[in-house]
Amino acid sequence: MDEQKLTDDEVVAAVLGGRSRDFEILVRRYSSRIVHFIARMTADGDEAQSIAQDVFLKIFQNLAYYRAQNNFSAFIFKIARNMTLNWLQRQKRTVFFSRLLGRELDKAPFRQETPRFSPQDRREREDAVTRHLMLLSEEQRLALILKVYLEFSYKQIREVTGWSVPKIETLISRAKSRMKKNILLQESGGESVNHARKQ
Amino acid sequence: MNCQRVIRSLSACQDGELDPALSRQVEGHLENCRACRAEWDGMQELVGRLRLSPPPALDPFFSARVMDGLRPGTVKPFRLLSAAAYALIFVAVFLAGFLLQTSAGGPTPSASPAAATYSAVLLEPQELGLLAVHEDTLKLFSGRDHGQK
Repeated sequence: MDEQKLTDDEVVAAVLGGRSRDFEILVRRYSSRIVHFIARMTADGDEAQSIAQDVFLKIFQNLAYYRAQNNFSAFIFKIARNMTLNWLQRQKRTVFFSRLLGRELDKAPFRQETPRFSPQDRREREDAVTRHLMLLSEEQRLALILKVYLEFSYKQIREVTGWSVPKIETLISRAKSRMKKNILLQESGGESVNHARKQ
Repeated sequence: MNCQRVIRSLSACQDGELDPALSRQVEGHLENCRACRAEWDGMQELVGRLRLSPPPALDPFFSARVMDGLRPGTVKPFRLLSAAAYALIFVAVFLAGFLLQTSAGGPTPSASPAAATYSAVLLEPQELGLLAVHEDTLKLFSGRDHGQK
């Protein structure tokens, strides 16, 4: 049977029925979106591939907990979101302890520098946008990335995050306003607002 | 519809999440209000800029690597590292116990092999590591006997 015609739920049923190799269909179907999501959240393209690999392993291990409702996308993005936020927390701790010991890490997205997935020769404006994305709170960034890059509806974002639609609307609206303000400030030579308020 | 309400609705309108009737009202307002129109244009430019940056290229062997990781018996490098770290902690704690005991002039470890006790320590939220603690080490820290005959 043509794998393109199989729904996610049919593939999951096949995997749970013992055809483990069919899991590759789901990996191929979602890998680029998952890596894209993680790369935007972490501003680290290489690390995103590694986290995404762990995400798929976790999905495979937790497949039995998925309830077939034709909503596999929300299920896997929920796992990707949790693992990415955990990674970001670990990075924050690493940066904290490294600063405590008087050392600076070579690689930390919280330094607010140019992310590695944007080569140096790329246009400065493009880099600035990614940098400003990292200045948003994690919640604002998550909501904005799911909306703008993954083109999720507010309802789909609600399924992934568990937030209410009004909260999602507010987060996205504030994220856009903050980014717009920061970009304008930077272009006029001022300093960006570094600390995003909660929500 | 006043400007304040329009500004509040701009983001949802841009995201296509506004009720169609409200959306039409916002569009009507934008045609006549230069200030709100400027806000709208700024928001459109921002989303345009965000979408300008292309997604990272996916490793062509990504799915193959994921599928390799699913094979039974495949141990990921970071798990090997964790195991090595636990082993190191285990050895270090034992050595520290013996050294402290020797410096305190207590009995040699070989004299009381049954004295070693084990306690469980939660190392990671989801991973339980076993850490061995020599009873004499506990005595040295607490300053009193634990279950001594």
